[in-house]
Amino acid sequence: MPAKALDGVKVLDLTHHIAGPWCTKLLADYGADVLKVERPEGDPARGMPPFYHDEIDQDKSLLFLYLNTCKRGITLNLKTLQGRRMFRELLQDVDLLVENFSPRVMASLDLDFESLLELNPSLVMVSISNFGQTGPYRDYRAADIVEYAMGGLMYIFGNYDREPLKHALHQAQFKGGTDAASAALMALYHQRLTGQGQHVDVSIQEAMASGLRDVVDNYTYTGAIRRRQPNHSGDLTRLRATSDGYILPNPGIGARDNWQATVEFLEVPELDDERFSSPSARLANAEELGRILDETFQTKNKSNMFFAAHDKRFIYGIVQSPEEVLADPQFAARGYFVDIEHPATGTVKYPGPPFLMSGTPWGPAKPAPLLGQDNQEVFGERLGYTNDEMSRLRSIGVI
Amino acid sequence: MNLAGPLAGVRIIEMGQLIAIPWAMKMLADMGAQVIRLESCQRLESYRGDALYKNETEGEFWNRGANFYEHNRNKLGITLDLTNAAGMEILKELVSVSDVFAENFTPRAIRNFHLEYEDLRRVKPDIVMVSSTGYGFTGPWANFGATGPATEGASGLVYMTGYADGPPVLPEIPYTDYTAAEQTVFAVMTALMHRLRTGQGQFVDISQTQAASATVPEALLDFAANGRTEPRIGNGDSGMAPHGCYPCLGDDRWITIAVNNDEQWRAFCGVIDQPSWSEDRRFKDSLNRWRHRVELDELIGQVTSGWDAHKLMQELQAAGVAAGAVLDSKDLLFNPHLLERGFFEVVAHHPSTGIPPLPYVGRPWKMSLTPPVPAKAGPIMGEHNQLVLSELLGRSAADLASLEEAGVIGYAPTNPRPVSRPSLDEQVRQGRMQRYETDFREQVARVFPPPNDT
Repeated sequence: MPAKALDGVKVLDLTHHIAGPWCTKLLADYGADVLKVERPEGDPARGMPPFYHDEIDQDKSLLFLYLNTCKRGITLNLKTLQGRRMFRELLQDVDLLVENFSPRVMASLDLDFESLLELNPSLVMVSISNFGQTGPYRDYRAADIVEYAMGGLMYIFGNYDREPLKHALHQAQFKGGTDAASAALMALYHQRLTGQGQHVDVSIQEAMASGLRDVVDNYTYTGAIRRRQPNHSGDLTRLRATSDGYILPNPGIGARDNWQATVEFLEVPELDDERFSSPSARLANAEELGRILDETFQTKNKSNMFFAAHDKRFIYGIVQSPEEVLADPQFAARGYFVDIEHPATGTVKYPGPPFLMSGTPWGPAKPAPLLGQDNQEVFGERLGYTNDEMSRLRSIGVI
Repeated sequence: MNLAGPLAGVRIIEMGQLIAIPWAMKMLADMGAQVIRLESCQRLESYRGDALYKNETEGEFWNRGANFYEHNRNKLGITLDLTNAAGMEILKELVSVSDVFAENFTPRAIRNFHLEYEDLRRVKPDIVMVSSTGYGFTGPWANFGATGPATEGASGLVYMTGYADGPPVLPEIPYTDYTAAEQTVFAVMTALMHRLRTGQGQFVDISQTQAASATVPEALLDFAANGRTEPRIGNGDSGMAPHGCYPCLGDDRWITIAVNNDEQWRAFCGVIDQPSWSEDRRFKDSLNRWRHRVELDELIGQVTSGWDAHKLMQELQAAGVAAGAVLDSKDLLFNPHLLERGFFEVVAHHPSTGIPPLPYVGRPWKMSLTPPVPAKAGPIMGEHNQLVLSELLGRSAADLASLEEAGVIGYAPTNPRPVSRPSLDEQVRQGRMQRYETDFREQVARVFPPPNDT
């Protein structure tokens, strides 16, 4: 098998739900050896929709299956003394521990960073949480929507005269997980050079707030507070409905000066008029311009328009449904969707590498672990527990 | 404590523009990498010409752009005309003493400049080259230019997002530029870890669309496995109810609330003093609340509109219910939690800019042993020409003078054209801004005193 970029990085993964597992999936897919530790009843993400063929089953949550590729899996009850003892044994030869419990949980289990560092002096521990390990909101609860609100993106997202909006699905969790994976590797880079371990505190609220353009700065530079924008129907870059979906027009910066190019591209002679030929005229006649543009775009096919625009180097965007993404020739040419066979679902197409590395490939992707799949190997072969001991540990709920 | 940052000793040459590469390299610079940002006097970086301090467009406006400073902290800046052979020679020399070359132009531009991985490898065999493009460096769409909205649209994210009764909606920032930038930091570190172990460089090809699609697996796998596409559901959730954004006291004030189970539901009804709701058959358990979520949202909105958003957030959180006030930009900047965590960092600007020290967003991570380097503002144009060319490459003063004479390096754009924004009164009238304050400088300086003023 060809070398992978993160070969030799050993990770103990105490994460659950989305942000933590996405962090360790990034590491695992690029070659780290990730051992996922689940509570005996399993990661709660095993109960999250959508399910394969709508069959509610701990091994059929598609989100869970996606988030845990390339990991091995064991179960361990950290609320028991014996479970913690076994956890400490596992910790001794790993490079990285990742967890995303509420901030006070690890300490309540006597698994705070300082005591773990005594067991493993070069340990890097990454803790992902909603609001970070310190500060007045440390113990606040959150869901993705709360992170959107408190991270500053929601207030400027949505229609002018309606309630603020968030993205669909779980974007905040993914941002937090990606940032955690980056920070983990920075700390590991330092560890490889110096042998030193450290604790990394990742906040999902700060992950949201660190990726905003011209929001806080608009206030510090001019005193103005941005809000959701009014619906300027004449805006040339506004999302428009086509006959078969939606397109994101972008005639480029040149359109400010070269209105003629836009008129010709849209094939609407009516727009070749002084009411629309300059930015200020377009603003004054925005409603009329908007009406003409809406009517024009309604007659177009979005794909034809997208490709025609790029022939002219107008940077149009296309809105693709999940079905269209799966059929997209650009993704196909780059081998983005990969077939992964899992014992509970058979083969399913998964989104694959976010980026390609010429020397150290992503994959081949291995399926997410069944609950407790590697208990025998890890507890039996690696830690040396006998079969009898393991049955006993199982009967008292440790594994 | 190691004050040089965990990435001390890593040198990165950045040929970036706008967000996707500059944001990622800023994060690496914060953590100790030496990032040398290339710019062109002939083709001014757009972010230098827009969002200007106090909206003033005269003078050296290119050194006063908010978006530039926001994405280029802690970098060295040089100008270089790459269409000139002498400029290209300097770039190759820089690559020959660097660890990473990062760029986000189209593959067409990179080929025209002969700056592909194979070209750079001849100069520096173990270089890591990182290209971030809208749709990827290869494939039939490789040379299509892209903006944040375009990659968000192609990824599947836009299609899923929007109010339940309407078309797709996009956020008002180039959101997926940041998604890709975050994954770029990870990608660079992945390549550097490999290089540290094996001595090998490589080419890292980032598709901003692929990066975004990787974060919408629920939708993509639901179609792949079940042939289904869920409708847009606004702020709703596939399981939780109530789950939404509700009006509060004041102008354009809102709170988000997410109730995860029956215990939280009862706590919620207690805080907002509606005990009868927890007995109501329509709302008695998760499934019923979800079925009646539209009525429920309506009722909740009527009650929350009598509450202050922050007070309600505090009371709900104290009762164990996930709730968050919707923070506007000023709320975010002055948020007591972020203040206590030191999230915003005060950065001093070059004296010639006239910009006072200002707070900027920091990073979403804190490392116990290796803090970020002391923050320095992004460079004014050509600020480090001398430092980089003389000290790093050993060019003489006479060399520098002739390079400047030939226009290979410079200190100002050759064709300056600022973006003039309407007055703030006009922007408020048009609804583009919620409001503005004239004493913002005093308010900011009070909460964020200059670094050496404490």
